[in-house]
Parts: sequence; structure tokens; C-alpha cells
Amino acid sequence: MAGKIIADTLESGIGADIATNYVVFGSAKSWVNFNGSGTVATRETFNASSITDLGTGNYQVNFGNALLNVNYSANVTGAYTDSGLTSCSSTNTCRSHTTTSMRATSAGTSNSGVDMIRMCVLIHGELA
Amino acid sequence: MQTPNFKGTKLFDRLGWAKENLEPYQSDYRVVYEDSIDECAKILVPDPNWMACALQGGILPPVWVYHELAKDEAQPDFKKHTRGYLLHETQPVEDMTEEEAIEYLIMKDIPQSVWQTWDEGNRPKMVICNKEQLPQTRTWRNAWRISDELAA
Repeated sequence: MAGKIIADTLESGIGADIATNYVVFGSAKSWVNFNGSGTVATRETFNASSITDLGTGNYQVNFGNALLNVNYSANVTGAYTDSGLTSCSSTNTCRSHTTTSMRATSAGTSNSGVDMIRMCVLIHGELA
Repeated sequence: MQTPNFKGTKLFDRLGWAKENLEPYQSDYRVVYEDSIDECAKILVPDPNWMACALQGGILPPVWVYHELAKDEAQPDFKKHTRGYLLHETQPVEDMTEEEAIEYLIMKDIPQSVWQTWDEGNRPKMVICNKEQLPQTRTWRNAWRISDELAA
């Protein structure tokens, strides 16, 4: 593909600058927004090959481009409803990292698995 | 749309091109599998952007690349990938049919212990089906198993 810019710093029109390393290392390497209820279905994704429905409130995101190691950072959020009003009464966790997949669980206040209508996973880290 | 010549282009960048230029393809296929007698059936849902890449061709690496990386990761002293170049430098695979893409995905995202011996037990450990064949509600989701009737 044509086009390559090599730069150490990016500068905005108002003079604010940022090192390109912030962009390279700080950009999300994978993200997924999917419906975790009913028959699980993705809404929007990047760098995901599939989602595995493992059971109630239990999902796995599989990556296209593997991560460099298992020490990447994952952020998982979810909402019971699309209204958002009840979206905070749940906990979402990530576990079982491999470089090509990550499990995400969602639970209600009783700590049992709960399916989320809006489930979001965001991955930061280095790519293989 | 013609896939650009991605020689020397990293996989992440190829996926970025696909995200920008290809229409996501929502497959109706689902893969149901069991990899533990203590757990319910699991359902693999193909990603529409990934499916678009598979159907387009010239973007995804061969599936054996993932198997090589998995071998490295299975080593007890694994710290980080040192053969990530396989993802980027191996010649991308040609365009696939939807069915071929699902088979690729099975070999990539389902444990090898399942798909290598999927029909060797008393009943199949894996079934490729249409999403309409799955229960539409999630009541008893954790109790779903592959039907014994499929063993016939």
C-alpha cells in the first residue's frame, strides 16, 4: 500500500502536540459491541474473528490479529437494557486471557451470570 | 472491489482496510460445540467484518499460522510471541466461500481437541447449524447440550 509517514510528534492546529507513541501504544487493538442476549449477535467490531457464547453472562472474544502477550488490558462493560437506566447494577469482568482470545463475564448484584443486551469489550496492548 | 497487493502489509492494517472498504457479511451459520462434560454447549458466532475479509480474499493469513502461534504460547516458558511475523508476512489466503470460511473459523477459534475428533465419540461434539435452529430464548441457557439424536 502506498503512503507512509514517519514522525515522532503530531501537532494540532492550536499548537498542542503529542508523541506518536501515544497513538501507537494507546490506541485500542480490538473492540467489540454485541448483543449478549437471545442469539448472540455483533453490532460493531474491529479485529475480532468471532464471539463465542459460553453460557449465561459468559462470552469469549476471539481476535484476528493476535496480541503480543497475555498482559494486555481489557475493559468490559455491559447494560441490561438499551435505556441505560439499569446499566450500572451489574459487574463485568475479564478473565482467561490468551493472545488470541479473552473471556468476559457479566453478573448481576447477586453475582450470578446475567446476559447483557449491550456488551462492550475494549482491548489495549501490543500486537504480535 | 479488488484487494490491494498487501505484500509486506501488517495484518492489523489489512483488517483496517477491510473495515473501511468492505461491507460486513452477517453469516447465518453458527457452530455449536462441547469441550467439557461439566459445561453447557458453546456457540461460535462469526464476526461480520471477519467474514467479509474471508469472502474477499487476500487479507487473512492461512489458519496454520494461528496453530503455530498457539504452539508457541503453549510452551511453559512462553512470555511473548517471537513469530508474529507469520501473521504479517505469510501469503494471505485466497477468497473463500461462506462454508470454507466457517471451516477456517472452526480450526482457528474452537479448541483443536474438539474439531479434530468431533465425531469420534458416542455422539458429535460439534454441529454446524443455522442460527434459526438455536433456541430463540435463553431460558435454561446453561443447560443446553447437543442433542443425542444427532448421533444417528
